[in-house]
Amino acid sequence: MQQLKNLKFVILLIVVLLILVIIRISDQSLFKKDVKSAIQAIQNNSNLLSPEQLNQLKGPWVVVNIGNSDLPDSIHVEHSMKIPFENLLDQTNRKILEGVDGKLILYSADVATASKVWVILNQIGFNNAFILNSGGNPEELKYKFQPDKSARLEQDSI
Amino acid sequence: MTFKQINMDARIRYSVLLIGVGIILAFLPFDAAQTFRLKSNELLTKSASEDMYFSVDQLARAVNSEDSTIQIIDVRSAAQFKECNIPSSINIPFDDLQNPLWEATLNQKKVKNILYGNGDQTASYAWTIVTGLGYPNNYMMKGGLNEWFRTVMLSQYSGEKITPTENARFENRLNARKAFTQINSLPDSLKTKFFNAKRLNQSKLDGGCN
Repeated sequence: MQQLKNLKFVILLIVVLLILVIIRISDQSLFKKDVKSAIQAIQNNSNLLSPEQLNQLKGPWVVVNIGNSDLPDSIHVEHSMKIPFENLLDQTNRKILEGVDGKLILYSADVATASKVWVILNQIGFNNAFILNSGGNPEELKYKFQPDKSARLEQDSI
Repeated sequence: MTFKQINMDARIRYSVLLIGVGIILAFLPFDAAQTFRLKSNELLTKSASEDMYFSVDQLARAVNSEDSTIQIIDVRSAAQFKECNIPSSINIPFDDLQNPLWEATLNQKKVKNILYGNGDQTASYAWTIVTGLGYPNNYMMKGGLNEWFRTVMLSQYSGEKITPTENARFENRLNARKAFTQINSLPDSLKTKFFNAKRLNQSKLDGGCN
């Protein structure tokens, strides 16, 4: 008992530390995941879904259209919702996203928006988020550089 | 209370404190050094802003004027970079983004980092990650190298009259195209020599010494 009394300041300090850690962990505006996990998923393309893969999905899923334009005609989905990019993490929208049962499939007319949103959601902890890649490989270089064989540097530039 | 007892108490206190802190650290769900520093709403606001983009024409102007306030970063693979790249760009492949060797290049306040890939996807991923990690001054070239080819490399003017603005824009693209073709047509050894010579010329113009 006497020893416990002697330790009361130490125990108090640990409790305060524990409370601070709990407050930090439960802060929803902080990111909690390791960046490496996002990089790995991107490297493996395991965060992408094609329209064909979407049609073959067996479990529940919802398409979230981020942006102002509608889904393209080639994609026919029954379960879709529209959330503007800038309001994505508003309390109401966040609750909706957290309540999604199954896969959360992100779509935007421009691939940049869905890509940015995917990284943000992944790092918040949405492991069920995917990007709907509707227009082929957006990272394919469509042009071939033709070197100029006669190119010479001006003598005075070397 | 004897000296021995006081010493013993202190040892027990420190031990309990260390064990307690150790347990808390062991149960922390993430490694703080590897997570985003920005708050989620802050990152979302930055991501949604159009200010994060550089147009192809803006980048062409920077290439032509050899703007020292920007640093162009190619996030494609080393093989793709070798095939062709925007003059004066640095290759930091997306897969290698977390390499500590690049931190000093990316995490600095002096110049703007302009990221580009072939399209917008990889550069967007890279932009969100480096911005989330708290590195300042990040931008991306909208449309990537595909847009560069479309706008700069294939630019032509077919009208009868040309306004001064159109003329300036066309000339800017033409000069950037020349620089791109000239640099990317060179063997690798000459590319290095060319950039060293450019740097030397710049230092002479600035009144510096060799």
